[in-house]
Amino acid sequence: MDEILAEFIAETLETLDVLSGEVVAWEADPTDKSRLDAFFRFFHTVKGSCGFLNLPRFERLAHCAEEVLAAVRRGERHADPATVSAVLAVMDRIGALARGIGEEEQIDESDDDALLDALSTGTGEAAPSRPAPVRAQAPVPPEAPAAQDEINQVETPAAEAPARRVGDGTRDRAPRTIRLPLALIDQLMNGISDMVLARNDLARKMRDHGADTELESSFERLSANVADLRDMISKTRMQRVDRLYAAIPRMVRDLTRDLGKKATLELDGGDVEMDREMIEMVVDPLTHIVRNALDHGIEIPADRIAAGKPESGTLRIVARQSGNQIVIEVSDDGRGINRAALVEKAITAGLFTPVDAATLSDAEKLNLIFHAGLSTAAKVTSVSGRGVGMDVVRANIEQIGGVIGITSASGIGTTITMRVPLTLTIIPGLIVRCGDHFFAMPRGNVVELLHQNSSMVSIENIGGARIATIRGERHSLIELEDVLKMPRATETSGPRTLMVIRSSVGQPYVLGVQAVESNEELVIRPATPAITTVGVFAGMTLPDNGQPMLLLDAAGIAQKAELPLREPEIRTRAAAVEAETSAALIQALIYRERDGRERLLPLSVVDRVEDLEASQITMSDGLAFARIDDRLLPALNTDGRESSPPKSLRLHAGNEQICYLIDDVVDIIEVPAKVDVALPSGRVAGLVMVGDTQLEMVDPFALFAEAAERRATNNSRIGRPIQCLIPDAEDPWMRQILAPLLVRAGHDVTFDASGEVKPDIILCSSEQPVPATAGDVPVLMLREVADPAAGTPDSIYRYDRDTIMAAVAQAARRTA
Amino acid sequence: MTDALFLFAAIADAPIAIRASEIEAVVRLGDIVTVPLVPPHVRGLAALRSRVLTVIDMEARIFGAGNRAGQAKLAVVADLAAHSYGFLVDSVSDITQAPSGIQPIRGRIDPAWAAYASGLVERDGRSHLLLSLADFVAPPGSGALAA
Repeated sequence: MDEILAEFIAETLETLDVLSGEVVAWEADPTDKSRLDAFFRFFHTVKGSCGFLNLPRFERLAHCAEEVLAAVRRGERHADPATVSAVLAVMDRIGALARGIGEEEQIDESDDDALLDALSTGTGEAAPSRPAPVRAQAPVPPEAPAAQDEINQVETPAAEAPARRVGDGTRDRAPRTIRLPLALIDQLMNGISDMVLARNDLARKMRDHGADTELESSFERLSANVADLRDMISKTRMQRVDRLYAAIPRMVRDLTRDLGKKATLELDGGDVEMDREMIEMVVDPLTHIVRNALDHGIEIPADRIAAGKPESGTLRIVARQSGNQIVIEVSDDGRGINRAALVEKAITAGLFTPVDAATLSDAEKLNLIFHAGLSTAAKVTSVSGRGVGMDVVRANIEQIGGVIGITSASGIGTTITMRVPLTLTIIPGLIVRCGDHFFAMPRGNVVELLHQNSSMVSIENIGGARIATIRGERHSLIELEDVLKMPRATETSGPRTLMVIRSSVGQPYVLGVQAVESNEELVIRPATPAITTVGVFAGMTLPDNGQPMLLLDAAGIAQKAELPLREPEIRTRAAAVEAETSAALIQALIYRERDGRERLLPLSVVDRVEDLEASQITMSDGLAFARIDDRLLPALNTDGRESSPPKSLRLHAGNEQICYLIDDVVDIIEVPAKVDVALPSGRVAGLVMVGDTQLEMVDPFALFAEAAERRATNNSRIGRPIQCLIPDAEDPWMRQILAPLLVRAGHDVTFDASGEVKPDIILCSSEQPVPATAGDVPVLMLREVADPAAGTPDSIYRYDRDTIMAAVAQAARRTA
Repeated sequence: MTDALFLFAAIADAPIAIRASEIEAVVRLGDIVTVPLVPPHVRGLAALRSRVLTVIDMEARIFGAGNRAGQAKLAVVADLAAHSYGFLVDSVSDITQAPSGIQPIRGRIDPAWAAYASGLVERDGRSHLLLSLADFVAPPGSGALAA
């Protein structure tokens, strides 16, 4: 009996969850019969089960609601807001009672009567107990097709859910589901993890004993199955974002009524899946943001009309997956955030002085909203402004490894974006080694990995502080062993590895470790309090080798090492600018050209050094391109690339990137910003004295110009497109072969010889007379035979594509 | 009544008893991975199939420092506040009922023990100090409730 009761409670609560979204859609469109049916079925089911379970209170409530809905179904009663509210109230009471049974808590029964009175007198004119007068408008015919899409403003993501739960058998597109206790799934997870560990153990033993190939192939198959199984089981943890959305329509409806506002809710991306636990963690922040948007964002209808906006505001919630993150965006079209009020509050709260406030950027002002105790709510309403503010929302989101951002335009609206990891429990991590110990670092925190003796890094000790300078940027350097108070393995050969770490708080810093061993997907579990109180561990994990490992907390390490936290950003920025302008030295990279000569390049234009395969470089139409990460970048110095696998310097200037092939990188040094001898010629800017020798400083401007020039000569895309006139439109070769070639190269082709458009170049067959309209326009004569002696002087063989293109490009330069 | 069952074991040459209801299993642990920066009674982490146990050295917790670190590998496994722990003991003798129930402590025991022992349980005519595992994972300073 207890089991049946528990099942009843669970099912009732679950259906209520789903229906609370439905009810608002129903109110928006009372003619929607399918929704009405869903409610009717709900009450009917509750009534039936209650009779069986002997729960008279449920039965009475459900019975009355069913009666009212039946009247609505018959068209004897209209689903006006009062009726809907009364039905909702009964639903809430049933929910409260069901929870009450679950927790053995009593709710006063006398309240029920008031609810039922409201229900029966909902419209004041049509109560089921009295003979119901038929309303003036035509009643909905019982079998009329539901006008689902006309006024259906609320896209309820759970639209088909009631059918699945109540199961009337007519709609079978919903997947069949069963209810399982969470504990069972967790056990299943653990079982699979055990299996993976056993598999790895077996694999090790087979390696040690040298198993034969037949056994190995069987093992491979088993191993693949285990891996698949693990993937499938981890999917059981995922749930659709729909669940997150379920309560929102109802909340929006109730809030807008309380606040006297109108709002349309749009929900999108409900089919995106995220970790069950993660959904739980996001519910509260999302609820808070929606409340804020309705309370402070969207204006009352009169104000909206005065501002020239539609009376009803729009609240839009969109979820989407972006890599291994879920992005949830809440946007409203309300009044936006009042920066001045925020700043004023911050000044009153003593966060900074009015003088400092003047230097704040717009984004900094907006971000004040995440500061504790700064609410722009002019008055405390029942909805928000009670001191639990956006600071708590941000803390909650950051606690689960997420990021929250805000954009707002005054009078137009506000968008709040939450980015949270796909799952709390499985993260990619780098496994680092410290002596005999291994630790994991979340890959999300690692910006870059470098070897200590890399030419990009220089390490200094200044007044006890250690500073690593990487490509001109200075970072605090800390050693993991020092933070963990472990002995550092000094006898180990090989350089240490430096990790550039970025955490949610503070500046990026450099963490030195003995080595980075591998890169694994790690299942993270919470560590015990005794371990987390240390402050540098975020959790623990059991990687595939079966040795427990701790997950490092990037922010905790910075705190433990007493690195400066968030610095006053404005001041450091100003100081940095000053430093840059006053410094007469720049960093330069010494590299060896492919011909063996050493030259210099300013380091600031070097994005990275890459090893390329010869196959990554493609010659196309006389131009070299390097294919890197699915992008084609112009490449310079490509001659002789087949002989040795080249290294490439990726040079960048804003959006432009080029690959400059070199033999190798030699060193990084500081040189005066001004070259010692300026020799602006070609690629070289001048000579710089380095030690007892002098090196040529390459001019990055010249390199970019050269790359651009070479592209330009091939494309002739300088300024306006080149007008090519082909006067002989009847010539099939000209029309079908030459014209498309020119168009592909970026030129415009016209066959109109009337002279209305002044061409930049005329192309014609050497057999044809030069058109009279030519004037001073250059004419390109194309001959059909290769032998120069056969055609008219100065003619070009018509398949000599390079020459043709060069001639067209020359015309382009003349016009440019 | 399950409460009447006790696990009888020994740490630091002293006979102890733990309520069986607090215990999940007694296992022999594999390698213990030490954890830096933690108090000495947290010996490290050990894998028990796919679970990770935080290994607590009860002796070190009682006396401030484990004098025989590295020897005991026998652990009492228990889940406390959703975390899995392994409590190191030197030996385990029996799980059985104690017909005479829990007796108050007679005589003046070592103050180190006093913070953890909440009574005496008798088995085969010998008294055992009754310990509660939860006291050993509470933050230091708050575990001294029993005395």
